Amino acid sequence: MTQPRPLVPRALTLLSLAFLVGCLDSTTGTIARASCALSGGGASSGTTAIVVDGCGLVDSRYTAEVAVRDSTAYTTTWGFRSAQGNFVAIWNVTGPQPTLVDSVLVSGASTLGDVAVTGDGKLLIVATERTNGSLVVFDLTNPRRPTQLSRLATPETFNGVHTAEVGRIAGHLYAILAVDALSTGPAPESKIVIVDLADPTNPRQVFVKSVPSTAPFVHDTFLRDGLLFVALWNLGIEIWDVGGGGHGGSPSAPVVLGRLATIGGDAHNIWWLHDAASGSRYAFVGEEGGPAQVGLSSTGDIHVLDVSDLTAPREVAFYHVPGAGTHNFSVDETSGVLYAAYYNAGVRALDVRGDLGTCTSTQQVTTGSVTRCDLRAMGREIGRGLADGTPPVYVWGVQLSGGALYASDMLNGLWKLQTVR
Amino acid sequence: MVIRRARSILLACVLPLATQAARAQGSSVALDVDARAIGLVTRATHTPGDRTLTEGYLTQPIMDASLRAGWLRAIGMLNLEGATLRRGELDAGAWGEGYVDRRHPHAYLHELVVGTEARSGALAGSIYGGRGFVPFGSDDPMARPFVSYPVDHHLAQIIERLMVVAAARAGPVTVEAATFGGDEPVDPSTLPLARRMGDSWSLRATLTGKQLPLILGGAELAASYANVKSPEYREGKGLDQRKAHLGLRFEDDGGLFARYALVELARTTDVDRGRDLYTFEAALAEGALCRDDVGAALRWERSDRPEEERLLDLFRTARPATDVSILGVTRWTTLTGAVSLPALRVDLLHAAPFVEVARATADRTSAAIFDPVRVYGSRVMWRLVGGIRIAAGRSPHGRMGRYGVASDSFGEAAPTPHHTHRAMNRCFS
Repeated sequence: MTQPRPLVPRALTLLSLAFLVGCLDSTTGTIARASCALSGGGASSGTTAIVVDGCGLVDSRYTAEVAVRDSTAYTTTWGFRSAQGNFVAIWNVTGPQPTLVDSVLVSGASTLGDVAVTGDGKLLIVATERTNGSLVVFDLTNPRRPTQLSRLATPETFNGVHTAEVGRIAGHLYAILAVDALSTGPAPESKIVIVDLADPTNPRQVFVKSVPSTAPFVHDTFLRDGLLFVALWNLGIEIWDVGGGGHGGSPSAPVVLGRLATIGGDAHNIWWLHDAASGSRYAFVGEEGGPAQVGLSSTGDIHVLDVSDLTAPREVAFYHVPGAGTHNFSVDETSGVLYAAYYNAGVRALDVRGDLGTCTSTQQVTTGSVTRCDLRAMGREIGRGLADGTPPVYVWGVQLSGGALYASDMLNGLWKLQTVR
Repeated sequence: MVIRRARSILLACVLPLATQAARAQGSSVALDVDARAIGLVTRATHTPGDRTLTEGYLTQPIMDASLRAGWLRAIGMLNLEGATLRRGELDAGAWGEGYVDRRHPHAYLHELVVGTEARSGALAGSIYGGRGFVPFGSDDPMARPFVSYPVDHHLAQIIERLMVVAAARAGPVTVEAATFGGDEPVDPSTLPLARRMGDSWSLRATLTGKQLPLILGGAELAASYANVKSPEYREGKGLDQRKAHLGLRFEDDGGLFARYALVELARTTDVDRGRDLYTFEAALAEGALCRDDVGAALRWERSDRPEEERLLDLFRTARPATDVSILGVTRWTTLTGAVSLPALRVDLLHAAPFVEVARATADRTSAAIFDPVRVYGSRVMWRLVGGIRIAAGRSPHGRMGRYGVASDSFGEAAPTPHHTHRAMNRCFS
């Protein structure tokens, strides 16, 4: 009778061999670095290239939103790269190349999704996202040295503040917060929170509304003339009277005037245009769809709504970029140019002056029962920037200031570009 | 001292129940109870933030029971990881339920199902309902030879759901169908939403080789499909999932060595309002040899993982995500070896030391922003685990995930918690 060989030595030998084989791979990791080295100076084929003046690098963190006032720009940071997205970068943008002059660390934060400067330039507003979400208010007496005045963190902001829109209603300063959903939070739903900033040292929450779970997110809002445009993702948009709509609405008791489910949903951000030619007829809605891999790909069109009847908005036009999706807007209303951050496709400039809802049959596209004009087919695209793919960009936000266009790029930092008109 | 105390606690819990079980078997009521826990120390290199961490846990502390009373069957399991493993267990590549690179703690009420079985000629059927394992994919990792969970856990199993599962068995073929609530647990103590019950479904067909030794050589071939509504957004309006799985499992108790092997392929597609967004795939092969109390096991796995924004604690992600984008897909290739050493047995207590070593590599599949080298400092990570499995009770822990006529133990005279996982019980339970 043969004695069996002991199991343990045999098993250990097999395991060792297997590990040896498993370790025989030679791939090495490479780190994607931020870069300002443009190929061809940022020019792109087709429509007019938006000229790039310069770039300020941020490599340790992913850059998020941008806000600019005079010669100072502020960019927030997002997620985890080599470090948490917990600082606001402060830039001197006097020259062609943004220069990092300082930064402000926000404690207990992993993402600072949004930043804004009040119209009078006195306050800087920063949203902290993810759990223990909050609104942080800074004094800008010295614009290059913001000092924290207050921080509002309530059970309603706990899930994380995605964006903070700031503006005046009947002379009072308010912040409109878009709060995330969070399954494990005390109030899981996504919600809109309106904050009275009349005393910036003591922000006061005056209104909270959960968005329907069918939305299921709210990402952004747009406040103008006492009307609040709310982007409700799958539900499209709603228009609220918060004091200027003539229907008795107020910041503490908004009245819904109208709503529209935009085609495809994923309604992310809004700009209500005041144009010399078309008046206040159009609102632009950014669609942030999927699939999208941050830093690489994105999906989503710009939807043009005719809101001349605020109670019955309708979709009349769209703009589509193959292989890319839009994010935030900034509009030069004097020149009639909308600049859109387009993530991996850089920045796009659209002529939005005049009638956008009238076009030839060859410029029309019908989706379901809705016929819309294709702004690209209408020749409304008038500029592209950072669109070469070298270096790869992922443009989060754009802002016009002092005759220049600033673009915050998650991968590389802050770009300064020239306007097209 | 610690072991003595653990032994005392386990004996105090289990012995009265086990005695009761022995008495009960004399009547038409049969109850079987067991308990187990694993004490371990893990050392992991290149964890998020490029830190080497050494941590100790009491993991998989469970009590499970099986009741047979006339026509009624009941199976239950309490899992106390919510108390012992709140921070999660270091496990490079692991993800799900808001945890990443740590395996999440499971629900306190891991399983509680009741059901009944019937036979008519060559056809047998069963129906079970409660909270438990959806008929999809392979056995729960807790019932397999490794302490460390595979990366594909959320691609190859659907667990802790409110569900009703019906099964029919004819000869070597078993078909299971389930309707269930798609919401995955948000934490160990929160129960599933009752109103989500029925928004998801799954099917699994199994060809059992015991009856077809010439075709499958004693193996079990299973194919399954599931349509899961909004697993990550409890309110039910997040991304849906379509899941498919194919598995070949072999277990042989005869001969000098007990042998076990599993090969599986899994695929999950995230779906937004009917539109496919992302697809994640996994391939896994594992095997074990066991003689008496001594065993060796090896697992190779290549699995995709969606990357999401990390929180202040880099081992956590937001749930639900704030939109439909992801930060990329990382492909994890993991090789894990395990050795189980001779056990100490006293009364109904069983304590078996073990060692596991794992080498994981994380590779980007695209130029999206999640960069393993940035986050971990390296794309290669090692993990060393040493510990003791402690078990008490009459019946060692078995396979998890099959009920009634779909279980291995269907038709056996004596009840067992779940299915008897005979071969591997000797050295990996």
